[in-house]
Amino acid sequence: MARIGVFVCHCGENISATVDVARVASEAAKIPGVVHSVDYKYMCSDPGQQLVKAAIQEKGLTGVVVAACSPRMHEPTFRRACAEAGLNPFLCEMANIREHCSWVHEKGEATTHKAIDIVRTLVAKVKKNRALQPIKVPVTKTALVLGGGIAGIQAALDIANAGHKVILVEKEPSIGGHMSQLSETFPTLDCSQCILTPRMVEVAQHPNITLHSYSELEGLDGFIGNFKARIRRKARSLDEKLCTGCGLCTQKCPLRRIPSEFDAGLGLRPAIYVPFPQAVPNKPVIDREHCTYYRTGKCRLCEKVCPTQAIRFDQPDEIVEADVGAVVVATGFDIKHADFFPEYGYGKYKDVIDGLQFERLASASGPTLGEIRRPSDGKVPETVAFIACAGSRDPAKGIEYCSKICCMYTAKHAMLYRHKVHHGRPVVFYMDIRAGGKMYEEFVRRAMEEDGVQYVRGRVSRIYERGGKLVVKGADTLLGARPVELEADLVVLATAGVAQPGAEDLAQRLHVSYDAHRFYAEAHPKLRPVETNTAGIFLAGACQAPKDIPESVAQASGAAAKVGALFSQSELVREPLIAVVDRQAPPVYSSCSGCFLCQGACPYQAIKREEIRGRDGQLIKTVAKVNPGLCQGCGTCVALCRSKSIDIQGYSHEQVYSEVLALLNRGERDG
Amino acid sequence: MAEFDPKIVAFVCNWCTYAGADLTGTSRMKYSPQVSVIRFPCTGRIDFMLLLKAFAGGADGVIVSGCHPNDCHYSSGNFHARRRWIVFRGLLDFLGIDVRRVRFSWVSAAEGAKWAQLVNETVEQVRVLGPHRAYQRLRGLGVG
Amino acid sequence: MEALRNKARELLAAGTVKVVIGYGRGSGGAARAVFIRDAARSGALIYDDSCRQNLAVYLMKPEVRRLGKAALVASPATLRTVLQLAAENQVPEGGLLLLAPAGGEVAVLAELSAVEARVAAQDQDLGRAEREELARYEAMTLEQRRDFWQEQFARCIKCYACRAACPLCYCARCTVECNQPQWIPVPAHDLGNLEWNVMRAMHLAGRCVDCGDCSRACPAGIPLHLLNRRLIAVVRESFAVQAGRSAKSDNALSTFKPDDPEDFIR
Repeated sequence: MARIGVFVCHCGENISATVDVARVASEAAKIPGVVHSVDYKYMCSDPGQQLVKAAIQEKGLTGVVVAACSPRMHEPTFRRACAEAGLNPFLCEMANIREHCSWVHEKGEATTHKAIDIVRTLVAKVKKNRALQPIKVPVTKTALVLGGGIAGIQAALDIANAGHKVILVEKEPSIGGHMSQLSETFPTLDCSQCILTPRMVEVAQHPNITLHSYSELEGLDGFIGNFKARIRRKARSLDEKLCTGCGLCTQKCPLRRIPSEFDAGLGLRPAIYVPFPQAVPNKPVIDREHCTYYRTGKCRLCEKVCPTQAIRFDQPDEIVEADVGAVVVATGFDIKHADFFPEYGYGKYKDVIDGLQFERLASASGPTLGEIRRPSDGKVPETVAFIACAGSRDPAKGIEYCSKICCMYTAKHAMLYRHKVHHGRPVVFYMDIRAGGKMYEEFVRRAMEEDGVQYVRGRVSRIYERGGKLVVKGADTLLGARPVELEADLVVLATAGVAQPGAEDLAQRLHVSYDAHRFYAEAHPKLRPVETNTAGIFLAGACQAPKDIPESVAQASGAAAKVGALFSQSELVREPLIAVVDRQAPPVYSSCSGCFLCQGACPYQAIKREEIRGRDGQLIKTVAKVNPGLCQGCGTCVALCRSKSIDIQGYSHEQVYSEVLALLNRGERDG
Repeated sequence: MAEFDPKIVAFVCNWCTYAGADLTGTSRMKYSPQVSVIRFPCTGRIDFMLLLKAFAGGADGVIVSGCHPNDCHYSSGNFHARRRWIVFRGLLDFLGIDVRRVRFSWVSAAEGAKWAQLVNETVEQVRVLGPHRAYQRLRGLGVG
Repeated sequence: MEALRNKARELLAAGTVKVVIGYGRGSGGAARAVFIRDAARSGALIYDDSCRQNLAVYLMKPEVRRLGKAALVASPATLRTVLQLAAENQVPEGGLLLLAPAGGEVAVLAELSAVEARVAAQDQDLGRAEREELARYEAMTLEQRRDFWQEQFARCIKCYACRAACPLCYCARCTVECNQPQWIPVPAHDLGNLEWNVMRAMHLAGRCVDCGDCSRACPAGIPLHLLNRRLIAVVRESFAVQAGRSAKSDNALSTFKPDDPEDFIR
């Protein structure tokens, strides 16, 4: 038999000014099952909480209803008080007679009546409440970091330095990401490789970090603290343990005319190659698509010259499985490439290039060894047009957003060009200059004022070739939209930053959501910027949105801190307000018929199929089962289940049904 | 005869509409006391059977409200709920039950004023429609 | 008819299936379901316009399942039912043969993809006659519809024949059997009858394949299929999907589109 205590709060005068609290308490006392009902000035104060605790112990209460403010305000307070008095905290409910009653209605009979109704509802509910135990899930203290660019490197190092194991997965043959391709970095103009390479080496040598380069995530199952990752190590076609990285094979490979990905297509590489000299790991990989042996069955020159016999032509991909407790997604971004700008002749004229290609031209390790020479004829360009917002902020192109990094790198490019070609003329076409950031505006000013970069505010409409020059046609909107025509030797497009080509596919494997542009979605745009909606999966860097290096690093450290906090405990404690599928004694086992409509509806992939087998191992039926680690307690499955075989703790069928009937003064038949 | 005071039951989600109604309170905006709120984790949890039970219990009108599309705390519970309501409305209408007695609305945690307006509008609408006698007559044997 | 009998005889004799579920001649000349386990009795099978029951309902009965692999004589509606059951995990791929009679021939369908192909050739959407019937009710005033259904449901005796006849009402435990809480009142009174029929229709929303067996089974003659048809129309108009067309499709109510209609939400 239920023994319910009702505690009506005056909240000073916040409630008692419009609600007759004494009458609420006396009416509540008449509800069947209520054995104790009092009102008090401040129920949340220490003496108020004492009233609750004392009544629990003296009257042996089996449930508590505190009629006061919103549960969003003080539910934790009173649940804690109940727990301290020895009552399971989930047997306590709040009747919101302040926000939903005394504050929103005039003083009077109707308002007091409503307060009584609210109390009656919650008494009916609490009678159906059950004692619940918090859910504890173990935590595997190993983090999986996807992507070995600067964000992934930073996250991996931070987590590893905190004393936890890290598995870093990079799809390219080397870590380093886009940052390793950059010449200098804004706003300090320090060399990108110089600040990045030591970090890459640290990753390679860190005892807590396992690096899988040239690898991709095949699948991820499980839930926070308990993921199981399957990683595909693509065949490098050599035994990494034997390879010393001497480089003989790459020098002897007779096929040397493959466009280098690292040099953004401006340089060439052999079929067996290391993407760049500082690569980590410094082991080559055979590009099976181009390699003569794979295409014709003849050659094997690398095998012949290898001093350690490390080449393995028949090496298969390897699948590695790993248990991890958290995942940091740092898979970065891409830029828009050819064919996106037919009006600019990009992809048609060799001397219309993108920002990454310019980085390679300006880089001392690049195809021109740092000299600015245009791709078509190798001449030093006299005039260079830099076009900002190529694709970005252009709804007609389907990219409404600002790519954020282009204003700054365009200023940097113009400066670098001027530093290398003193007599050269850099002209920047822009829409607006967005230089928010520490020392950023000063940097752009420097480009204009000290390096004499000419800035023209206006969109470029067309680029075409005329007599060996590229004619850039646009308008200067600061001079009354006067048409501008510039003869340039080289045009650099600051093309829009976009999501990685496989972003959607990876999101589906990770069960994280993404936005209309396929950038990964954070759990909250302001307050949870490094978390995804899937517990235990975090975001770092430009996979979430275009970002510069400092921002990517900051977010990576943020994600690492979140992982650290998760790993600081050996068990995760979660509220038990989750869905549960019916289980019964044989021969029924479960009222679930296994239609699995719930499975498709669950936003968290928390519903699994469980095979119920007899003693002889024969399959009796397949029914739904909720993974308590994944379920977040939305209850969508509950409302969908036709046979009411799923229920949700804390908002169970019995609880809400009783509430509805109590609200309508119909009472319950079984009291 | 005194003016008819309809009884309205509101089924709301915890994260948006319940919080929005809290904001109405903290902002001290006034609205009709004819409404009673039942809290759910998500609109996705709201079983159509509960709406029937509310009518059976004597409600003259029902409000169902949760997070705006794309704002769901559980990312998609409200989208599932929306489909369920589309179908349920289609059925009620076919059975001759006036769907104007069921008001669906998105109210965010920031829309305290919208909550007050929603309640007042629903009370007014149902007041015009009158008591839900057609349904209440069905209570027949009074068991249930 | 002969083709069907021959095919059944062949399948049973070869042991390909253990039972052929088909139609036979019952009392008063009416067609009734027969379960033929002996090849020699295949001659009892008939197939004509009187064969209207959706035999897929027997697939879900444990007593029938225990007989072993079945071949099922399948009308167009039965084919749709099988696809819907497959989409709901109730029919495993390869666990069943379907005998679809057409123009004196009989097609044997073993794979769900073959069933899909055959169903694809059927009319999409409700037929003209069905639409016109529905439109007649939709054209009534709200009060007329209310009175009509109250009159109909007043005759309901809660025998649940509609449930027993429906191949998609296969739940191991129906919600009417739940008493904690008691969702549907036990006695047959106006309120409980309405609640039961609303629940039945809602539980079939996005699932019903319009075989019409609920109405045929109803001893009170309530046109229950109208409720299902109305929801078939709503689901089709609102979500552009139809049940019983694919063995893999998600249910209309367990999925969503971000841009589903919401003009009624204010």
